[in-house]
Amino acid sequence: MTIETHSSSQSSAALPMRERISVRDLRFYYGESLALKNINLPLYDRKVTAFIGPSGCGKSTLLRVLNRMYDLYPGQRAEGEVLLDGENILQPGIDLNLLRSRVGMVFQKPTPFPMTIYDNIAFGVRLYEKISKADMDVRVEEALSKAALWKEVKDKLNASGLSLSGGQQQRLCIARTVAIKPEVILFDEPCSALDPISTAKIEELIDELKSEYTIAIVTHNMQQAARVSEHTAFMYLGDLIEFNETSNIFTTPKDQRTQDYITGRFG
Amino acid sequence: MTDMAMTSHAASGASAERAAVLQKLRGRDTLFYWMTRIAAISVLGLLGAIMISLVIGAWPAISTYGLSFITTVRWAPNAMPTPVLGGLSPLIGTLITSIVALLIAVPVGLGIAIFLTELCPPRLMRPISIAIEMLAGIPSIIYGMWGFFVLGPFLAERGLGGNLSLLNASLILAIMVLPFITAISRDVFATVPPVLKEAAYGVGCTTWEVVRNVVVPYTRVGIIGGVMLALGRALGETMAVTFVVGNSFRLPSSLFSPGTTISAAIASEFAESADLHQSALILLGLLLFVLTFAVLTIARLMLMRLEKQKGA
Repeated sequence: MTIETHSSSQSSAALPMRERISVRDLRFYYGESLALKNINLPLYDRKVTAFIGPSGCGKSTLLRVLNRMYDLYPGQRAEGEVLLDGENILQPGIDLNLLRSRVGMVFQKPTPFPMTIYDNIAFGVRLYEKISKADMDVRVEEALSKAALWKEVKDKLNASGLSLSGGQQQRLCIARTVAIKPEVILFDEPCSALDPISTAKIEELIDELKSEYTIAIVTHNMQQAARVSEHTAFMYLGDLIEFNETSNIFTTPKDQRTQDYITGRFG
Repeated sequence: MTDMAMTSHAASGASAERAAVLQKLRGRDTLFYWMTRIAAISVLGLLGAIMISLVIGAWPAISTYGLSFITTVRWAPNAMPTPVLGGLSPLIGTLITSIVALLIAVPVGLGIAIFLTELCPPRLMRPISIAIEMLAGIPSIIYGMWGFFVLGPFLAERGLGGNLSLLNASLILAIMVLPFITAISRDVFATVPPVLKEAAYGVGCTTWEVVRNVVVPYTRVGIIGGVMLALGRALGETMAVTFVVGNSFRLPSSLFSPGTTISAAIASEFAESADLHQSALILLGLLLFVLTFAVLTIARLMLMRLEKQKGA
């Protein structure tokens, strides 16, 4: 399997692209079964990379390697290298809590914590920083504004996070992730439980967030991948079939399987 | 047009047949409904009957002592001309032993449950779970004997009261309710959606922070429900406590002194009681019934609220 390098860099002429995360020869096991087979792939700084592919192809698994969420479960292990700013995050002795504060994650289902809206944001911040109430207020407002939620919740910051609608909850989760100032944000099918209007809001948000963060998004929705991402990775049965600029993947895929998938012939 | 008429005719024929079958089934359905309904109502009937017979049995004591029964310490069934019977010391003994037992068992039980659900290496999970379940399976008289022959002397040697004391009873009760608290809190901890925990780990929480800020708040109501069920059990436990509590109808001066509990008092005196004495013991039983009933009702209500939360 070969990885397309970006010889044709029409879109990125202005800035040279920097690899924020480099995945090298990554293999992942659930117990004995191999779920990811020698994945090699870059995630570029301040770009959105989309992962598409049929269910069970390993795209969520790959995402969960990037913040080592799999570590919570016994029997799951990764081999190879994942470099975040040149440092291998798979090596033992990495501070997982610190890693997860640098690589934030937004899940498929909204997961507000059982506390107030304010505390949902402040909670993560308090884990790392001792800041005054006034600074925290600023921080919470900033995060909620970035997640396009401030206007809707500013009068009920003390209401439970669970009282919000699904779309609002998801934006709350994004705000929570943003508040701890991560470098990378992983979205695991963030819109699959949301209605089209909320989906549009989240996509808009992702578009804004990429000016500051490196973003990876797993999605089942190919239009979404086409709308929000600069690069797209197509995965199939644990293999990375094709990685390229999104426009190329959707117009001139190199691999027959990619072609079949994006035209809806399987998946 | 004719086609349509014919189809509808055929359909009505089939539906008449179907209606006849349904009619027959409906009869059985009604029978089944009433059978299950009677079974269910009989539970309420039993509960009411027990309550009524307790009240009837306790009536002589209620009419003789009234409210002073629960404020009087003296317990003199052989006093002349009428026995002086006050239920304060067993009432207090029951509350003290149960509460102290919970103070010990709740932290330990929660600790075990957190360890089992969040930290335990999978190899250890089964052995520990089985050990806890076996703890629940030991007959209470065994605990009583152990408390009498082993724990009592152990405490006495270390100057923690005599062989028989409220402390001894509390410790025995703590061990007995531990499996309840552990099993229930382990089960409610398991209701926390993994993705919620992942989200907490995802903002960089340590295990302690996840448990403290997400798992426990999410399951608070269920934990309280479990504790209440354990309290209900501790309040009513008889055999083991009768062995080790000392059965002394005095106001206990400390945890180290002997005392008695309602169930221990009934168990140790009922056989040789008569008349007003017996009635007073039944009144104690009624008090315990009300106390336990209240505790269990609160527990149920809290668990119901948890269910509703989960549904929402």
